Amino acid sequence: MTGLKAALTLDEFEIPSVIVEKSGELGGKVRGYGKTFPDFRSGRALVSGLVKRVDSTGMIRVLRNCTVSGIRTEGDHYRVRLSDGTSLDAHAVILAFGFEPFDATRQEEYGYGVCPNVIAAPELEALLDPLGPTKGRLLRPSDGKPVRKAAIIFCVGSRSKRTDSPYCSRICCSYSTKQAIEIKESDPDAQVVCFYMDIRTYGRGFEEMHQYAREIGVKYIRGRVSECCALPDGDILVRAENTLLGKPVQGVFDLVSLSVGMTPSPDTSSLAEMLGIELGTDGFFISADGGLSPHDTGREGIFLAGAVTGLKPIRDCILEGTSAGGRAAAYLRRRRA
Amino acid sequence: MPEDRTAVVDDSSRMLEKALRDLSMQYYSLDRCHQCGICTEACPHTNLRKAERFSPRVFIQKARLGLIDLAGGELWRCTTCGSCLQVCPYEVPLVDIIVSLRNLVFEQGAGYVPPSFKAVLASLAASGNPWREDPDKRADWFEELAPQGESRPEAPEILLFAGCFPSYDRRGRSIARAAVQILREAGIGFDILGNEEKCCGDSALKIGDMKTFERLRKANLEAFSGRHAERIYTLAPHCSHVMKTRYAFGRDNGTAAKPFLLLLHELVVEGRLPLGEVKRARAVFHDPCYLGKYEGITEEPREILARIPGLETAEMAHHGKRSLCCGAGGGGFWLDTLKGERLAEIRLDEAVEAGADLLVTACPYCLAMFEASRASDNRWAGLEILDIGELVLRSLSDKPGM
Repeated sequence: MTGLKAALTLDEFEIPSVIVEKSGELGGKVRGYGKTFPDFRSGRALVSGLVKRVDSTGMIRVLRNCTVSGIRTEGDHYRVRLSDGTSLDAHAVILAFGFEPFDATRQEEYGYGVCPNVIAAPELEALLDPLGPTKGRLLRPSDGKPVRKAAIIFCVGSRSKRTDSPYCSRICCSYSTKQAIEIKESDPDAQVVCFYMDIRTYGRGFEEMHQYAREIGVKYIRGRVSECCALPDGDILVRAENTLLGKPVQGVFDLVSLSVGMTPSPDTSSLAEMLGIELGTDGFFISADGGLSPHDTGREGIFLAGAVTGLKPIRDCILEGTSAGGRAAAYLRRRRA
Repeated sequence: MPEDRTAVVDDSSRMLEKALRDLSMQYYSLDRCHQCGICTEACPHTNLRKAERFSPRVFIQKARLGLIDLAGGELWRCTTCGSCLQVCPYEVPLVDIIVSLRNLVFEQGAGYVPPSFKAVLASLAASGNPWREDPDKRADWFEELAPQGESRPEAPEILLFAGCFPSYDRRGRSIARAAVQILREAGIGFDILGNEEKCCGDSALKIGDMKTFERLRKANLEAFSGRHAERIYTLAPHCSHVMKTRYAFGRDNGTAAKPFLLLLHELVVEGRLPLGEVKRARAVFHDPCYLGKYEGITEEPREILARIPGLETAEMAHHGKRSLCCGAGGGGFWLDTLKGERLAEIRLDEAVEAGADLLVTACPYCLAMFEASRASDNRWAGLEILDIGELVLRSLSDKPGM
């Protein structure tokens, strides 16, 4: 989303650009979101709207299944070496390659990767997607049984020094609440229990969505889950402390979804090294001037946008793509003068 | 008395809070806690069926408001097992906090100390063992075992540190004797500290009696200094852990203390102990906290069990690093805990649920806790409890021709 938005903004300044896309399709992770929060619009539709505009302008070249293997300065521009052996010249480079979901196998006690009915949020997203593998029916992986009792465990790979991710990933409370609403709306008799530490639905419309979830009967239990155990029939036993009551609680669920946080994209460190730009202790890029120039780096003409500088909801990524495009346009204009 | 509903703490609470913060030297560690409760679920006490249980989360909340009731017993319930440390997302050093607070209470007489601790600590200070036993009889178990006239090797490969329970207790001595017989079978030259050995000090340290701990530490270091003691093996993982973390040897001469289990594992894996068939049994292994959680040693004991012919193995619901404490750690060994409220009972139940008739462990204190609880109820009568060394010895002796 961020990169598309940046390219389209450059297009408005009549500046030609090339999008280097690692996968076979544009749109990044948002392409896989059946619905986005807080307004439940289709992520796929958001992406296809932008892709249509990218395709219709003659100014944007798109290279799919393509990665950057090297960048060096050559005269007054950068020479970008590509994975297909070719190279291209650019006066400015915008890094907008997003993030990577936390690898839930790293939190062994939840049994992800061992118990088939413990899934991670992106998989739940696919199961809830009307165009997904189950056509939007929530069927659990082990035996295809419709899910009547679901648990969602918040803060998996976020706010934990133990997994080297002490930061809040910002979007998990909201996307999980959105998913809980989808489960509940498609089957009002289904039980959905969210185990959380704090609810951080901080954006416009996010908290209202959270309140709506409670109103339609999504249960929130304050307590971080210590363990999930698979029972012989595939059900999952979840144990936690209800810290508001000060009581240990446990429940048996058909399905457990882990609200995984966001981690830096695996490409971050190699690009940081290639370009000599700074990383924070959290592994994300740091922008220049202590954040006063949010898109700038220590390297002239190299700009940052979106989740590469930390975690953001889609809305902020759209904003960042737009402003990074504008920042790059201003840079190029001044350079020409 | 009317219910206290003040949200702001009073002066005495603030003093306690300040003292704790100063003492713990972890000023921010209390505030790092987000009260998420993941520790409560991991804590062995949560598995007890009683209304008022110890909760690490609640303890921290009270501690940072200075609201710990020092006249009550709460402070002494933690066994320092480290389950909470395994799961805490913010790495709050709860065990350090507890021990610091105990130290404050103990040394300044600022609150309740379980009476049974006082006698133990006095005995540790005076006799170097917790039971007022004669220090000159500490090595009697070994003398009884040693054939007359056998001299100690001049350059022993290892030094065996028996510890208090294996030195003095009738049941415990069987663990010490098994270790010696195994070493002899494997042809390992070894020495012991004999009557110069004192308690390692783990209990004194975790109860918060630093003076007694220091005294014991110095006495043992002095005894070590006169020996070939580069490789020390201790029968209890508590001893090796406290030596490793607090004795501060090894910086110059390479001395290292390790649990005896590691040596046993080495000998078994290298084939230096010809293991023979034992009576058919279904065995579970109870991971001692200071072996599994603190040292990460969980595979080695299972590898030993797997190599003993005739043994079938199973796992308890909690095992490995997620094992639950037997109740002995942090001074718990010296507490009078009512039947029905003992952590050891949870483990015995889990062993029976796993269909085991043999519960194996690798810590004399776990073994003692299990033996004591087993005797208290018939439902565990079918369960035999053995130290892993005893089991290996059995596998050696039952071998035909021995």
